[in-house]
Amino acid sequence: MLLQTAITGLAIGGIYALMAVGYSLVFSVLNFSNFAHGSVIMLGAYAGYFILTKAGASFPVALAGSMVAGAVLGITNERLAYRPLRVRNARPLYFMISAMGVAIFLENLVYATLGAHFYSYPEVLGRSIVRIGGASIGILDLFALAFSSVAITGLHLFLHRTKSGLAIRACSFDMTVASVFGVRIDRTVGLVFGLAGALAGLSGIFLGMKYMAYPTMGWITNKAYVAAVIGGLGSLPGAVIGGIVLGLLETFVSVYVSSIIRDVFSFSALVLVLLAMPNGLMGKYVEEKI
Amino acid sequence: MKRLLAAAMVLCLLGFQLCGCGGGQKPGSEAKTPEEPKDPEVIKIGHAVALTGDASIWGQSESNALKMWVNKVNDQGGIDGKKIQLVTYDTRADSVEAVNVAKRMIEQDKVVAIIGAAQSGVTIAMTAVTEPAKIPLISTTATNPEVTVKDGVVRPHTFRVCFIDPFQGTVAAQFASTKLGAKTAAVLYDVGSDYSSWLAQYFIEAFEKMGGTVLGKEAFRTGELDYRAMLGKLKEGKPDVVFIPTAQKEAALAMKQARDLGYEGKFLGGDNWGSPDIIELGGSAVEGGYFVNLASLEDPDIQDFIAEYRAEYGSDPVLPNPVMAIDALIVLVEAIKKAGSTDGGAIAKAIEEIKDLEALTGKITYDPATHNPLNKPAIIQQIKDGQFIYVEKYVTS
Repeated sequence: MLLQTAITGLAIGGIYALMAVGYSLVFSVLNFSNFAHGSVIMLGAYAGYFILTKAGASFPVALAGSMVAGAVLGITNERLAYRPLRVRNARPLYFMISAMGVAIFLENLVYATLGAHFYSYPEVLGRSIVRIGGASIGILDLFALAFSSVAITGLHLFLHRTKSGLAIRACSFDMTVASVFGVRIDRTVGLVFGLAGALAGLSGIFLGMKYMAYPTMGWITNKAYVAAVIGGLGSLPGAVIGGIVLGLLETFVSVYVSSIIRDVFSFSALVLVLLAMPNGLMGKYVEEKI
Repeated sequence: MKRLLAAAMVLCLLGFQLCGCGGGQKPGSEAKTPEEPKDPEVIKIGHAVALTGDASIWGQSESNALKMWVNKVNDQGGIDGKKIQLVTYDTRADSVEAVNVAKRMIEQDKVVAIIGAAQSGVTIAMTAVTEPAKIPLISTTATNPEVTVKDGVVRPHTFRVCFIDPFQGTVAAQFASTKLGAKTAAVLYDVGSDYSSWLAQYFIEAFEKMGGTVLGKEAFRTGELDYRAMLGKLKEGKPDVVFIPTAQKEAALAMKQARDLGYEGKFLGGDNWGSPDIIELGGSAVEGGYFVNLASLEDPDIQDFIAEYRAEYGSDPVLPNPVMAIDALIVLVEAIKKAGSTDGGAIAKAIEEIKDLEALTGKITYDPATHNPLNKPAIIQQIKDGQFIYVEKYVTS
């Protein structure tokens, strides 16, 4: 029972972590919470669904396709909604409001075009189960967990081993100084949104396969945001840890306390962490964060 | 603190969005104009039905079926020689409209009784007019217990021909115990829905009465996506059946995840499963699941009716409303005959005394304390090869 709970918690936490990384990545550079991230995830789920069913493509193609779709959407989003603000040196609060607008726009766009219908993915990976000493985990969960780890590790290596990664890290430290040293800000910010979008596309296709694709998938990204805040917004290792901690906490509360008051615990944990450590578990201290 | 504030703001915002998608009301077309015969040789029965709006697929079919059946009764001599005249009005499944319709039927058309409505909320609204006027009202498919009993007191002139929602829990429990040979069960229900909570409660009571053991009961809130924590706990005791009395979306997801966790027993549900969505959403995981339903096109007892309906209208009736409306008419005809009068109070009293009346869907006996039909047969259906198949008609003991 304990093992099963831990494995389930890890599987749920893995998805939270993948989504939380997207929030943190954008926050680390632009210091605002990109609430449109959830909508990009939602559209990633739809993209994956349509590539699989309407285009009849194979699963790897759909996986790549939804990552590309997420990346393109992320970059477009930045061009249209955030760059004009950045050029005018707007405060992070206005970025956040713009992000909310984008989120509402995209969600309603889906309502208007595809409707509120629930789309269920075909069973690409089958219904097989892997047993780990008495506990079981679905093959999809295992694959999602493994692929998410690969993606997050890949992102980490990209940020620390490449020149573009160095540019992103420089920007997250101080954008003005970075530009003085020759970093092309527009290109770097675009890259950040592209990466966050690709991760969103990946989360989207996994969420869609696990549950289904529908316009208000957004609520689950609320939890991912909570995970990012617990881990410390702007910190990638923090987002991963926050996601896993939240996933485990929720599962243990559901099993050993009560499934109905699970969310009470999640949000209490958020409040407690913020009271004790205002920057989250691994956040850096920065003035004026919204 | 600002971050916290931001998080709170966002949650509020998303919350508003979730609530903000209500549907608009379509203006309905006017129903046929009332005729004015003061013919004492005619017995007028009102029929309040949704002929337009979202519920009209069922409503149209119900109206057709009832007209056909009234003609049949009239051809066989009517009620003690008097012909039945049906007065049909459109409610658009709207409470306000239905109240107006009920008023018009009672005050202008002078109906002796009303059949309808199909929706619990609409029927409850209509009782505000029918009860003071002492006009018997027989609902077709209003399954909420409060339709006939308010605050523990039965509404004297209000009846129904369908079973109440929670009764499905009893049917499912007895079916699991007697037909599936289940000794142990687990229940996963939606705490945000009265329907689901009551079904769960009735299931547990009935299953324990049959000598079974309920190993666990877990709840979630409407809209939940991940059931693995709860299912992992329920799975521990390896229950023979898992009862999931929820809407099709939640049920499909829960079944998928239960299979992913390696649960191999059977699934059971209520009539909310009866939407093709469940097969699309649940895929192979929902295969073999059983659920309780009000009516089925494959019910052997209604084959003659279906053939007549097809011959008359060239299509299948949209169940369950048509057969329920006919049951209501049969109950009413029997009651008027027995009462020997068209007085509302006398008819209501006669309905209370109905016992083992052969209606279309099975035998009807009224419970005078609740005005619900007792032990009404229910249909058990199964999901097989991506289709809903008829398993049997189950009568509870």
